[in-house]
Amino acid sequence: MENNTRHDPNPDFTRPEEPELDLYTIPSHSSWFSWNDIHETERLALKEFFEGTSISRTPKIYKEYRDFIINKYREDPSHRLNFTEIRKCLVGDVTLLRKVFCFLENWGLINFVAPPRPREGSQNDIKVRVEDGAPNGVRVVADPSSLRPLSAPVVKEKSSDSGFGEGGVKLPPLASYSDVFGDLKRLRCGNCGDKCDSEYYEYYKDNFIVCVKCFKSGNYGENKSVDDFKLKDCSGNTVTTGAVWTEEETLLLLESVLRHGDNWDLVARDVQTKSKLDCITKLVELPFGGSLIDSINGRATSSGPTTNLNGAKPVPVPSSEHQENIRNEDQGQNLGHGITNENEQNGDSENQEPPLKKKRTAPAPDADSSLMKQVALISTMVGPQITAAAAEAAVTVLSDEMVDDDEDSEMKERSSPSETQEMSPEKNDVPLPLRIRAAVATGLGAAAAHSKLLADQEEREIEHLVATIIEAQFKKLHSKIKHCEEAEQLMEKEYAAIEEIKEYILEERLNILQRTYGAGIPKSREQGAVQSQTGA
Amino acid sequence: MKAPATASWRAPLKFRMPTTENLVPIRLDIEVDGQRYKDSFTWNPYDPDSEVVMFAKRTVKDLKLAPSFIPQIVQSIQSQLADFRSYEGQDMYAGDKIVPIKLDLRVNHTVIRDQFLWDLNNFESDPEEFARTLCEDLGIEDPEVGPAIAFAIREQLYEIAIQNVNAARENRISKKGRRGAEYFPPSKAGSAALDLMKLFSFRSSVVRKRKEWDYYKPAVDLLSNEDLYALEAKEEWLRNA
Repeated sequence: MENNTRHDPNPDFTRPEEPELDLYTIPSHSSWFSWNDIHETERLALKEFFEGTSISRTPKIYKEYRDFIINKYREDPSHRLNFTEIRKCLVGDVTLLRKVFCFLENWGLINFVAPPRPREGSQNDIKVRVEDGAPNGVRVVADPSSLRPLSAPVVKEKSSDSGFGEGGVKLPPLASYSDVFGDLKRLRCGNCGDKCDSEYYEYYKDNFIVCVKCFKSGNYGENKSVDDFKLKDCSGNTVTTGAVWTEEETLLLLESVLRHGDNWDLVARDVQTKSKLDCITKLVELPFGGSLIDSINGRATSSGPTTNLNGAKPVPVPSSEHQENIRNEDQGQNLGHGITNENEQNGDSENQEPPLKKKRTAPAPDADSSLMKQVALISTMVGPQITAAAAEAAVTVLSDEMVDDDEDSEMKERSSPSETQEMSPEKNDVPLPLRIRAAVATGLGAAAAHSKLLADQEEREIEHLVATIIEAQFKKLHSKIKHCEEAEQLMEKEYAAIEEIKEYILEERLNILQRTYGAGIPKSREQGAVQSQTGA
Repeated sequence: MKAPATASWRAPLKFRMPTTENLVPIRLDIEVDGQRYKDSFTWNPYDPDSEVVMFAKRTVKDLKLAPSFIPQIVQSIQSQLADFRSYEGQDMYAGDKIVPIKLDLRVNHTVIRDQFLWDLNNFESDPEEFARTLCEDLGIEDPEVGPAIAFAIREQLYEIAIQNVNAARENRISKKGRRGAEYFPPSKAGSAALDLMKLFSFRSSVVRKRKEWDYYKPAVDLLSNEDLYALEAKEEWLRNA
């Protein structure tokens, strides 16, 4: 073909045998392209050429197609090459050719600097679709709980939000916003301004909402027809948002929790009006709920002080935090309790920040209560056996310490490495500072034990992995040796065969020589003639 | 009805349209009481038969045809669908098969002639998409041309597929009793197939010689009203003769 005037597209791939180079522009993301090679990108995008399924689809044919199309375009880069133009020049399935063509065009190897297709230009009128309504991820729900008064700004924002809905461009609320503040939103009827607690009608076009009362009486505003409204039931959403609890229900819940412990199915059955999840949420929400669960479960031995302290200091935590807690608990059962405690603590000090991320480090233990919680948290992280062992050791150390009180300060330092401190419930008569110190020591000890366990496990893991690696290496070497042996055997066989042939040839040669000498002059003359012929 | 990604060349394929979508080309030419209705379109063979009646009724209503057209249209579509279905489940062909497709059609004022190669094993092929590209590249404005080209391609592919089924059947009968006769040489499985060994052999180039380009180039003519009138009169005369 006329390919002798082709040039390289990219200065990186200069071909030395071509003295004059024209520069062609290709997009930087196509810099993999090379005339001499077929790149992985091409292999992946046009698999059919590299699977060997047909003689009409081979890498060689692909390369011919590709080179021809690119060359054709570069004859006149300002001209937009189209498929119909190159189709007539190439032998092959048009569907396949089209695929190659589109591939090259998409990568900008052809038609990169050419003017865009005229039709494209006229079609590309700027059309912006403004999406109305909340995105899929956002669920508009009713006010979940009346425990905590809503902060004024949020309500205001919400009402103004639905206020100018018909007017200008309204951005849909951010999903994260509603994740965080979703339950703080209060839906209000766009007509009478009442709260829409259980059911309401939503207007399709925007977030306009009408309560059931107004809807039934036909007050859903002008320009809107009945069909445009959709009934929304938020009572179904209460699973995630919690619900309003009456005094009676709360009482029922507490009674049944005391009776059934953490068998939530039974509890929910007793409460009747609330679901299982609601019950759990509510219980955790109650100021002493966590301790109740603890005492029922009898889970952590050292949670005694925590319970007391929790009970003594009711924590008015907003409901959102509690839901977060519940979710956390659902996700990670193993850490559930610890996080609950921790989040309560966070919620205490930082009401404005919903705990979307779990903080593993609590604030500095400046007060007794948080210190105790800290300790309880750490000790619940390890198993009950470890805590028990730590407690036992702590009792002995404590009694030692009771004997010589003046060594108190040193004791503190000594106690942490010995991993043995605890404050046991029967030592209630011990002075408070000692209790605190002992508790701190217990926590540290438990943590140390925990980390030691982790370290041990890690070590075992590493050992195991190393063993696996060694085994794999061994297998590899083994198979290599086997391979070598096989090769050697083959070589030996071949060598033997060659030796045999050598012998045979030697014999043959001797034979011929003997016969030649035996036959005398005529044969030798003939041989001489042949020699002279080849010589000439 | 997802098409198999790559057709293995060994196993014979079951009959279907060798395109992404298994659509049957349907051609109607019905004359009732001096009123003539000509149409062509594709039909999904998996659609329920009740759709045919619905389609006929709607068409007659839209085109303001006489109601007596309805049974004729239904009958014509159904018999063509039955033809198509009668081939289903039969072996079509095995091995490579690239066929030339020739176009020579007139749609309103546009006359188009073209030829190109079509791989029957490529189930990614899409006649409609091909026709759209062709019209776009050639700047054909008439919106009826694209569908007509796609239909013409489908009709030819359908024809070839039927030929292949018949050839495969004959082949099987003639080799009855002999085992291992799985592979049908392309030359036997249809007269239209090309000699791929020659076209794609290692030595020859897949780039055509320059003088051949014009044969494979689409040629488009726009007829004037007089030409069109003369042509239609001629066709009419041929039909009546």
